[in-house]
Amino acid sequence: MDLPLQVIVNNEIETKRIAEKFALLLKEGDKVLLNGDLGTGKTFFVKNVCVKYGIDTVTSPTFSIVNEYTGQKKIYHFDFYRIKKTVELFDIGFEDYMKDREAIIFIEWAELVPEVLPKKCYTIQFNYINETKREIFIKKNE
Amino acid sequence: MNILGIETSCDETSVAILSDGELKANLISSQDFHVKYGGVVPELSSRAHLQLIIPLLKEALEKSHLTIEQLDLISATAGPGLIGALLVGLTFAKGLSFSLNKPFVPVDHIEGHIFSGFLMQWKPQFPYLCLVVSGGHTLLLLVKSDLEIIKLGTTIDDAAGEAFDKVGKLIGLGYPGGPKIQEEAAKCSSRDLINFPVAKTQNEYDFSFSGLKTAVLRFVQKEYSGKENIKEADIPKIAASFQNAVIKLLAKNVEKALQNFKVDSLVLAGGVAANKDLRNELSFISDKYKMKFVVPDLEFCGDNAAMIAYRGWKLHLAGKKFNYDYNAYPSLAGNKLIR
Repeated sequence: MDLPLQVIVNNEIETKRIAEKFALLLKEGDKVLLNGDLGTGKTFFVKNVCVKYGIDTVTSPTFSIVNEYTGQKKIYHFDFYRIKKTVELFDIGFEDYMKDREAIIFIEWAELVPEVLPKKCYTIQFNYINETKREIFIKKNE
Repeated sequence: MNILGIETSCDETSVAILSDGELKANLISSQDFHVKYGGVVPELSSRAHLQLIIPLLKEALEKSHLTIEQLDLISATAGPGLIGALLVGLTFAKGLSFSLNKPFVPVDHIEGHIFSGFLMQWKPQFPYLCLVVSGGHTLLLLVKSDLEIIKLGTTIDDAAGEAFDKVGKLIGLGYPGGPKIQEEAAKCSSRDLINFPVAKTQNEYDFSFSGLKTAVLRFVQKEYSGKENIKEADIPKIAASFQNAVIKLLAKNVEKALQNFKVDSLVLAGGVAANKDLRNELSFISDKYKMKFVVPDLEFCGDNAAMIAYRGWKLHLAGKKFNYDYNAYPSLAGNKLIR
């Protein structure tokens, strides 16, 4: 997979294929920021990346703020949707999670708390086109 | 036997004391407690747990007319939940257990919910089917005994409570919107004016709510081009149709399980169990299958330490022993019992 990548996917199967290819790029210590409106497929994307690592228990972390999974890789799956203040993130140990070089970190709704985000990361933007179609834009930021 | 329960898995700090089967105190952090003991701290906070746990313990002891030395068993939630938050309660429990020289029992939060029906006068009977629905979890379980729990289904994306909260926000009721959806839905006499589809899952007992949430979003965009333009008179209609779709899906899987497994009771637990229409629907199904239906009182539906104390007590009576190296765990995968 060459980045940046900007594609229109027609359905979930195509999204799944991109997620699987993207999974091969990731290595321990990588951070992936996912942005896009409700229902554009952020959790679905993370779910299908993780399937590649033998993890089939990915669900939305909106309520829990962070889900942790272990398969062939260790994953921290964040969601900033219900974060009201930056201090809440520090209080639950966000910095400690970010320092873990053995884990891959996904952050949904990352743009809601921009001040805590790493500069070196992958960003994925999801845009709604119609019922089944989405635009996906993946970029690597050094 | 006096059992202390401590729950700090997510937003709420809770301390409870159970004397054998009798609940003496079940304190759950509220804004009042925050003002009294915590001052201004973020709602979602390990530090808030730290500030509230000792005052809550003191108040629980006072309410129970017990001294700290009279506690016989110390139980606390070990997972699933936020690690930082869990560690406050679990480490506190270990320290207290060590200093009092009384056994320490780590308790699984979901197991707490599963057995919360036993806190009621009207108790479930084994084997029973249990639906746990909350902001973070949606699980359908077959509970054969205190130590035999089989997971039949779970959500593959969003939890039911999360869908309620997000849809609440989508239709302009704020976040979390769960309780307000129920309020708005009650204003509508018809429950299915709008057809919101729910997705099928591979495992027949699993749940999926993400597509339903998206369907409401698309409806709002298409009909009103944004939540700001929703006609106030239409909100009850949308709320009722959405709530109906959630309840129908939950009920469908429950009913399928009742047809396939021989059980004596049906238990509805977790924060979303507060929803009256869901209670009514499952009560109706229980009658149809001649089942005993148990739903805990509201104070035992949300996160609470009473259910942790109860579960800790049962594990102790079953002869379970735990060491201080027992660690907190973030996800249900850390549970050693539910398979």
